[in-house]
Amino acid sequence: MSKKVVILFGTESGNAEFAAEDIAAEIDGRDSEVVDMTDFDIADFTSDNFYIIICSTHGEGDLPSGAVPFYGALEADTPDLSGVEFGIFGLGDSSYENYSKGSERIDEKLRDLGAKRVGDYGRHDADTGTLPNASAVAWSQELLASH
Amino acid sequence: MGQNQVPTVAIVGSGPSGCYTAQFLRKRFPDAQITIFDRLPMPYGLVRFGVAPDHAGTKAVTQQFDRLFERDGVKFVGSIEVGKDKSLEELRAEFDVVVLATGLSADRQLGIPGEEKNGVYGSGRITRLINGHPDESLEGIQLGERVVIVGQGNVAMDLIRLSLTHPEELAGVGVDREVADLIAHSMLKQIDVVGRSEISDAKFDVAMVKELGKIADVRFTSDAPILGEEGDPETQKRIDAINTLVDNSPVTAGRVVNFHFGWVPSEINGEQHVSEAIFTAKHTGERKALPADAIYTAIGFTEAEAAAVKRDAHISEITDLETGRLAQGLYCVGWLRRGPRGTIPANRADAKMVSEAIIEDFENNQLEKVTV
Repeated sequence: MSKKVVILFGTESGNAEFAAEDIAAEIDGRDSEVVDMTDFDIADFTSDNFYIIICSTHGEGDLPSGAVPFYGALEADTPDLSGVEFGIFGLGDSSYENYSKGSERIDEKLRDLGAKRVGDYGRHDADTGTLPNASAVAWSQELLASH
Repeated sequence: MGQNQVPTVAIVGSGPSGCYTAQFLRKRFPDAQITIFDRLPMPYGLVRFGVAPDHAGTKAVTQQFDRLFERDGVKFVGSIEVGKDKSLEELRAEFDVVVLATGLSADRQLGIPGEEKNGVYGSGRITRLINGHPDESLEGIQLGERVVIVGQGNVAMDLIRLSLTHPEELAGVGVDREVADLIAHSMLKQIDVVGRSEISDAKFDVAMVKELGKIADVRFTSDAPILGEEGDPETQKRIDAINTLVDNSPVTAGRVVNFHFGWVPSEINGEQHVSEAIFTAKHTGERKALPADAIYTAIGFTEAEAAAVKRDAHISEITDLETGRLAQGLYCVGWLRRGPRGTIPANRADAKMVSEAIIEDFENNQLEKVTV
């Protein structure tokens, strides 16, 4: 049986949450749940679930405010995440420096703690004037077909 | 109102605070009747008329809000100015919850002699004009070779960038051609950007300064002292951003932008039209006169004298501005609640908090229609 999909979003303006909801709405035939990183207890990470991380970038390549407590908890508690698999999709705006860096910080931290990134690294550039929803859904469909 | 019912909600103002409030309330009350009123025929307030037209990524947030109206059953009622076309009392009688999200639309005044002269323009007026606001026109706007911008926040950074962008490029992102030709006119030779804060307290975001570095044919200068390593990291980032901008700009160029830190505006001179702005150094009292064909004031926003609904007229015994509660069933959110600080994400956080207060009041049976 396929693993349950937990979609964790880290947001500042709501765009990552908006895309996370659309990803969940398009998941057929398996359990899924959308969770704000702010409300997520990192002790709940389990290899029984598959994680989709969708995270924006704020200011100078910083984390969005919604991802700050999550990142801080990972840093403080350094849980062993071996066996945990995730796919990641980053939001950013290429008209600024440090495009899409927010998600990269999460990616790096999760891998440092033993989690394994699978599939292609998804990205969306807000400079196109579009929201990430369509490309994030397409990316997630391809990812979930094999994970 | 019983627990099984849902409240009816009216939100006044369809800018980011109003739309985010609708979003959060819709999540909690999937079946509630939620209506957003706006005095203009089209929604989205400052996202449409305040965010610079070349910041498509920021404006894209409206696509989140589109869904409120297209799929989530939130109703938009445009061209109704609450307080004028329909009284707030009427609205409170019709809806269980009324949320004021009308923002702060007036340019804050400098409060110095001469600011009423021709050639002094509030940044709100200019950004509305650039964004095609139906109330604004080119009438009476006259620029020249030298523009002085008072204020160094992100609005000032927008005005610098837009003034130096080729009119065709502005037209390409939807700016009216006549407006683009006026704002980004070819005569412009010099922009002086003056703030009362030292660089350590300057209001701009570093990303906005870095963006200025992409504009061709501009020399940048700054009068900020170059500090050593001791400064705090945020201050150091601002200093580095300005220094990098200055160092990477050509020594000679067709246009020059000078940053002046720590200067307080004291007087505007000129016959009918402005000719110079006078500033006084915050610490030494030294005086500086900057010649100006036009002055943009970008020192923040305040409640308009003519605002149809004024927040403080509704202060009651139960007012708690910390949570957005004004009176029974009446709330305020966003800039109207906490003042003109913070961009779109800050107003999302604000809307979340006020929505939580509304939900809490609903769950504690604190909502009742007000009888007129």
